[in-house]
Amino acid sequence: MDTSRSYLEPSSFSKKMAAAIIIVYAVITLIPISWMVMTSFKNVDSAISYPPEVLFEPSLEGYVNLFTNRSRQSQEYLDSLPPPENWYEELVRSREMVITGPSKFLGRYSNSMIIGFGSTFASVFLGALAAYAFSRFRVPLKDDLLFFILSTRMFPPIAVAVPIFIMYRKLGLGDTHLGMIILYTVVNLSLAVWLLKGFMDEIPKEYEEAAMIDGYSRLQAFFKVVLPQAMTGIAATAIFCMIFSWNEYAFAVLLTQFNAQTAPPFIPTIIGEGGLDWPAIGAGTTLFLLPVMIFTIILRKHLLRGITFGAVRK
Amino acid sequence: MNVKKKFKGLSDKAVGWLFIGPTVLLLLAINIYPLVYAIKMSFTNFYANKIGREPQFVGLKNYIKVLNKEAIWEKMQVTASFMFWTLLLQAIIGLGLALLLNRKFKGNELLTTLIVLPMMLSPAVVGVFWTYLYNPQVGLFNYVVNFFYDLGSFDMIGSSTLAPWAIVIVDTWMWTPFTMLICLAGLRSVPNYLYEAAEVDRASKWQQFIYITLPSVLPFLLLALLFRGIENFKMFDMVVELTSGGPGSATELASINLKREAFEKWKTGYSSAFAVILFVTIFGFGNVYVKVMNKIKER
Repeated sequence: MDTSRSYLEPSSFSKKMAAAIIIVYAVITLIPISWMVMTSFKNVDSAISYPPEVLFEPSLEGYVNLFTNRSRQSQEYLDSLPPPENWYEELVRSREMVITGPSKFLGRYSNSMIIGFGSTFASVFLGALAAYAFSRFRVPLKDDLLFFILSTRMFPPIAVAVPIFIMYRKLGLGDTHLGMIILYTVVNLSLAVWLLKGFMDEIPKEYEEAAMIDGYSRLQAFFKVVLPQAMTGIAATAIFCMIFSWNEYAFAVLLTQFNAQTAPPFIPTIIGEGGLDWPAIGAGTTLFLLPVMIFTIILRKHLLRGITFGAVRK
Repeated sequence: MNVKKKFKGLSDKAVGWLFIGPTVLLLLAINIYPLVYAIKMSFTNFYANKIGREPQFVGLKNYIKVLNKEAIWEKMQVTASFMFWTLLLQAIIGLGLALLLNRKFKGNELLTTLIVLPMMLSPAVVGVFWTYLYNPQVGLFNYVVNFFYDLGSFDMIGSSTLAPWAIVIVDTWMWTPFTMLICLAGLRSVPNYLYEAAEVDRASKWQQFIYITLPSVLPFLLLALLFRGIENFKMFDMVVELTSGGPGSATELASINLKREAFEKWKTGYSSAFAVILFVTIFGFGNVYVKVMNKIKER
């Protein structure tokens, strides 16, 4: 049989061609990301050399600059100081500067963590409850309610940002962790309900019914039987919520300033002398994007399924 | 029903409301209430930075102002051309990649994951980083372009003819994997017996592609484009950090303009009217699109 004509079993030549093109595309698409990681290990001078340096002497200057505030000092002043206590102080001194204190990066990063985990937990928890109810009970106006939940995702964030801004100011939630957690929870809820409903639908009803015959109440059956069964779906949904909260920018830049600001609005503001400090920005970007990349690679099966699953159902 | 009542604890109805209640309440409070509030403000001359002043009802004045403003139509054009080019490129490249990946060669899954990476990243941070790649003096992008074709010095972000392409390139880089994944799901959902039957009938590979593959993947592609369309209509973060709408207003998308009116000039009433118009536009287009999409599916 002429195999080259078959769609189901492509010839090995066509497989190789496809693989080659895909590899080229993957390499090109990864260049910007690799370049960012490389830049984070350059020093300030080599980051702005032209032609761009592919081979360079690695330096931790970007990371030092990311975590510290520095000020430039005269040579006499530097000479009058006791010798530097550690390697990073030495590095900064060699640039004729002294460290004046830690930068805000760590605080912004931990804000991202707190708000990310807080809102992810809340939206997955509430989403799982609602998804279960939609999956198992006869809810009046079920389809309308589900569509209503989905439609809230279509609002442009800026359109509701002013009212939320005013509302938060009145309630004292502006620029607080709690305010941002609530906001991100709500933005993620619609996705969480839809994704989790799909996963709950796949769990046979008989499981919890058997548990209830054994004397469990509906609530006990949900927490002890259904939730453990839905763990895969819950994990996939949680990753999506986490990635959204971690990456969100519009609300963060409009509603937070000092106290609850997350990393995305902060990273662009890292400025060195005479322009942006590219190694420091590279370092911030690398540290910020690293968790997401690791997550994506480790949990790829759930993630890829989640993306297409959500799309195919809607 | 009677059997269920014998179970202990709350009734199913109570549990149902207990489970759905919090979600609906939160959405009402943080999503619907602000939207209604915005609609209400769009009929007033409210300024959110002037707290003491009592806003006055001005009827449709804000709406008339928005629709008569020439600058608004310019922003709409910028948004429309951004959407046109990003969706076109993402449709072609995404579908192409999906077709290639569907050949199930070795290492297929790992490559898919690597290609998907850009869409997982923070758009704002991506925007910042691309300003470095696009830097006219030291940028890697400029270097690579000049390596293959000597253009001399050019500034992707500083030139008003190139800046719209700068944002199209970054968006395409970031989001093509999304179209690709959805198309891939579509390709994998085509039942094998269709191809088997076609082969029995001695249909050529090309005929199989035109009559089986393309029609089955089309609904998925259209769906992916709907999601991307909605997202790009709202596009804010990546572009703000990359070009901040400039130079001049060459890349000032509708939502960037909206942010300026609402949070820099604090024209709350006016900007709310603009937001409502944007919202109605996206809903209207979305509905028409879904109807067309369903018709195509039925065929």
